[in-house]
Amino acid sequence: MGEKFHEELKELRREFCEYSNFSSLMLKDAFEALKSGDVDLSADVNARKKQLSGWSDHFDERLLTLIALYQPMAQDVRTIICTLKMNTAFYRIGRYGKDIAILVPDFATSGHLGRMLNLPYMAELVFSMIDDTLEAYRSGNISLISDFSGRDDRVDDLRYSVFREGVTYMMEDPRTISRCMDYVMIARYLERCGDHCCSMAEKIHYMVTGEKVDIS
Amino acid sequence: MVNMTTEAAVISTKGLNLYYGDNHALQDINISFERNRVTALIGPSGCGKSTLIRCFNRMNDLVDNVRVQGQILFDGEDIASPRTDVVEIRKRIGMVFQKPNPFPKSVYENVAYGPRVHGIKDKKILDQIVEKSLKDAALWDEVKDRLHASALGLSGGQQQRLCIARTLAVEPEVILMDEPCSSLDPIATTKIEDLIEELKKRYTVIIVTHNMQQAARSSDYTGFMYLGKLIEFGETCQIFEAPGERLTENYVTGRFG
Repeated sequence: MGEKFHEELKELRREFCEYSNFSSLMLKDAFEALKSGDVDLSADVNARKKQLSGWSDHFDERLLTLIALYQPMAQDVRTIICTLKMNTAFYRIGRYGKDIAILVPDFATSGHLGRMLNLPYMAELVFSMIDDTLEAYRSGNISLISDFSGRDDRVDDLRYSVFREGVTYMMEDPRTISRCMDYVMIARYLERCGDHCCSMAEKIHYMVTGEKVDIS
Repeated sequence: MVNMTTEAAVISTKGLNLYYGDNHALQDINISFERNRVTALIGPSGCGKSTLIRCFNRMNDLVDNVRVQGQILFDGEDIASPRTDVVEIRKRIGMVFQKPNPFPKSVYENVAYGPRVHGIKDKKILDQIVEKSLKDAALWDEVKDRLHASALGLSGGQQQRLCIARTLAVEPEVILMDEPCSSLDPIATTKIEDLIEELKKRYTVIIVTHNMQQAARSSDYTGFMYLGKLIEFGETCQIFEAPGERLTENYVTGRFG
């Protein structure tokens, strides 16, 4: 095997980073569209879902082919397993982008409540986790993901605070129910993305060092 | 690193050095082989893995200019010592080679040969030994109707299993295998690998292989050798999933070798 395999794996990793960026941009653009009420941008995100799923299937297939053809070992097999798992995670992250995008038209007409129940801050935290996950995968620099446990706790707390704050608005004024429920759902999507980052961080840590760690 | 107590080890070496003339072929090898386990030795050609297992039944004795230093303990006894009875050692530590090498005799005679050398003459006992050994080598069903036909008429895979049966006939404690599948097709290889899995219930198996997947599939422990040194030794899944040494990593991922 040797060189040809390692060239293929290197190229696959490079393309996988493009795909991960694409998926993460779906989430970021969806959130941007939500904040600004940009219906065109949200429609654009929604339209990207086909490419996302095509890309994800494509990586599954290529990774399986690499295993079947080369029966890789050690760091190579860890890289392939890590990439397979990350493929699922980034597909989900892209899909959460789509889920947020389809809520945008409602907010575009109704407007937002206050400061969107702290959602922009929560989104910022999650985006930074996604960016660091991707960079750690690309460069092997695991110091970027070493504090994920604490960051994930903050994201979880924010999700709960969105819920509680939402409940107070809904009790005060039933006309806010539909919007607050959407906020609670969005917080849930963002929290799921943070969780995916933690599970990817575990895989990346294993890929780089060969040691299993528990990040939750 | 796996810590193995010496009680569990059947064969172990202490500071083993071997020279072919000026060539320092084994350098300070300290390794233990656990009872009823399969240990694989891997490494690029010329790294000393065959030389090492050939030390265990003194097959290097015939090589000119060979010099051995250090200890090779088999059940606590130093078998490198000149006092060792080599025939006895080869009975207790059997060996299967890269190319199947049956004697140009019948299937039956191939298996009965060893027990005869060791003094068994009773035909009934020999029959039993032949049948049991062939069964243990997963070959009986294929050859039971042609026991007296020439062994050279068997396929390569069958010949190799016959050689394993021949080894089993003298009831060894350890079976050394020097690339036993390298001249076999994938199906015959699978049969030998299944057989290794069975054999380890009763024997200690040490296998030298170039086939990394084979080492990964069939062994409990793996040692990686390079330029006469034992670089890393550990549980097989650790060596292939997360090796501790950079050299091992580079070898198992095909970056050299």
